[in-house]
Amino acid sequence: MRKHTGPLFYVGLLLFVFLVMFPFLWILLAALKPPAELFGERAFHFIIQNPSFDNFVRVFTERPFARYLWNSTVVATLTTLYSITIASFAAYAIAWLSFRGKAIILGVVLAVSMFPQIATLSPIFMFMQSMGLTNSYIGLIIPYTTFALPLAIWNLTIFFRKIPSDLGEAAKVDGASIWQTMTKVFFPLAMPGVFTTAILVFIAAWNEFLFALTLNTQEAMKTVPVGIVMFQGMFTIPWGEISAASIIVTIPLVVMVLIFQRRIISGLTSGAVKE
Amino acid sequence: MNRSTKRSLSEKQMGYLLIFPALLIILVIAIWPVMRSFWISLHDIRLNDPTKSEIHSSYGLDMERYVSTLPNLLRYVKREADSAQGSSKEKLNALQAQIEQMNTSLNQTGEVASRYQMIDQLLLDFKPVPIELKYVSLSNEQTESIKTSLAEVRAVLLQMSEQKLLSKPEGALGVIQGIEASIIEPNFVGFTYYKKFLTDARMWGALYNTAFFTVISVAIELVLGILIALLINRPFRGRSLVRATVLIPWAIPTVISAMMWKFLYDGQNGIVAYLFEQAGLISDMGMLLTTKAGAMFSVILADVWKTTPFMALLLFAGLQTIPQSLYEAASVDGATRTQQFFRITLPMLKSTILVALLFRTLDAFRVFDLIYTLTGGAPGNSTETISIYAYKTMFAQMSFGEGSALAVIVFLCVVLISIGYVKILGADLLSDGSGK
Repeated sequence: MRKHTGPLFYVGLLLFVFLVMFPFLWILLAALKPPAELFGERAFHFIIQNPSFDNFVRVFTERPFARYLWNSTVVATLTTLYSITIASFAAYAIAWLSFRGKAIILGVVLAVSMFPQIATLSPIFMFMQSMGLTNSYIGLIIPYTTFALPLAIWNLTIFFRKIPSDLGEAAKVDGASIWQTMTKVFFPLAMPGVFTTAILVFIAAWNEFLFALTLNTQEAMKTVPVGIVMFQGMFTIPWGEISAASIIVTIPLVVMVLIFQRRIISGLTSGAVKE
Repeated sequence: MNRSTKRSLSEKQMGYLLIFPALLIILVIAIWPVMRSFWISLHDIRLNDPTKSEIHSSYGLDMERYVSTLPNLLRYVKREADSAQGSSKEKLNALQAQIEQMNTSLNQTGEVASRYQMIDQLLLDFKPVPIELKYVSLSNEQTESIKTSLAEVRAVLLQMSEQKLLSKPEGALGVIQGIEASIIEPNFVGFTYYKKFLTDARMWGALYNTAFFTVISVAIELVLGILIALLINRPFRGRSLVRATVLIPWAIPTVISAMMWKFLYDGQNGIVAYLFEQAGLISDMGMLLTTKAGAMFSVILADVWKTTPFMALLLFAGLQTIPQSLYEAASVDGATRTQQFFRITLPMLKSTILVALLFRTLDAFRVFDLIYTLTGGAPGNSTETISIYAYKTMFAQMSFGEGSALAVIVFLCVVLISIGYVKILGADLLSDGSGK
């Protein structure tokens, strides 16, 4: 595949990038358009005559969007911290210690990561309701474990296996305990993998919809995805505000992707893990 | 947790110790709920009906309801008796005695008697009745006797109201029903729901929609994914920018991408609908979300846009592992590019493609967010997938047992698909790279 890349190739490439980005660009335009240009006559124009940030302002002043953002941040951060902590120990043991039954354990982890969420929903919902945990952070973090923990264990195991195990052997010969080997030799090397996995888990928790939709129904406890979907009224859909909110949510993710794209790609592809 | 003590654990014990918390959590939060879902699907559970809001394996009494309605019945009969004359007065007095007799015999079990007082006091103070006090189990005989007594009382009252002997005939049935509603029947229904769904046209329709959506979108994603992977595998300027571009649709929440597409497809103001109409692909802008074929096409297009990048990245990683020397050798032997692709690239990519297909197929099969937001299953259930149907049954109809049966069906399909792929893949998926 070492063909010379000609100008035609770049034209095709630009077209491809444009097609992928087009929905975003259009939504960005929609967010900046005043209502008069969003509908009717000028709905299909690329040029905005009177661009305004009204939609962005309204999202924060007329809707509890800041609250949604905060809820999502809390839930996604706590889910990430707790599942990464527990998964790190498990992945370390699977990758670096010798004991029987590893293949079975990994098989279970992989199988659980493929569970359809709907199949766990009814008992979890009934449990949370009877415990009074609906509309709370903990009530979302617990069910989020169903996908966060398998994802974290699977990824971390793959990363940890790449760290040469001779280092562990050498430390053992030098008389280090298992605990010392883990903290002094292993963790410094494992940090990049842990960080990458944390990004993937965070994005998965941030984007989750079904549990958030059913468990946290109060306005003050909704997460961003549910909040945005619920913007629509009975008869009208406030497209301007929805577009603005979508852009606000997308920008941090885009920045994250641009900064960490190498890591994310290696994380996504190293074990062919589901998103 | 400093392990500088002499009695340090062996490596094996340490391994199990470190794995234990993760396995325990997975067992409790993921595996147990799936089994529980199956158990729930064997019961008639309705969250909007207090007597069916949980699993009841035996007859019982909703004490709160019973305690608050029984006095009403007694009061009603007494009032009628006070205003009645002659034989009907006697009849009503007899009824009064019968109801009191029923209550006394019920109160003979210590359980009911002690709770009766407690709950009565709580209701008087307007305090909520704690869940552990609320339900009491009844034996089959007790239930039978209550039911017979109530039926007899009802029959007498009905007869009297027909003979115009009651001053307020409409009140009679209301209070009787109130007490009957406090009797909790066991709600085990076995495989009733599964039998029902076997012949349920809507279930098969949903299953067909799910399969159709899965096969078509995953096939398109695979072809596009291979093309994009080949594209970003070539060295060119701006490669990292293209890779980042490709990642963005993957990173945004599915519901947000669904909202975006909903706007693009909009019948009045949607640019994509407009462009399609201009290009003559559709006769009318509204067709995309209001016709069956249009809605399915729209959902698939949105899914392809969102998840092709993920596919492309997996395949790109697979391409990176193919040694360049193979292509060089093939070129020397005079193989054309096309031959190289079919003889080297595809066979070498086989296991990567299968893994990518497995993940994408399962993901597409349990699709929920995208369709819920974009069409909600409309028009006329033409885009309703099995997960959406299960969700609607649970949360719109509040029929949890029935919805859980559908959820279990989704689960079984996922298991079957996985088994199919794993059979083709063999054990490559879990091969232990470190060989320990």
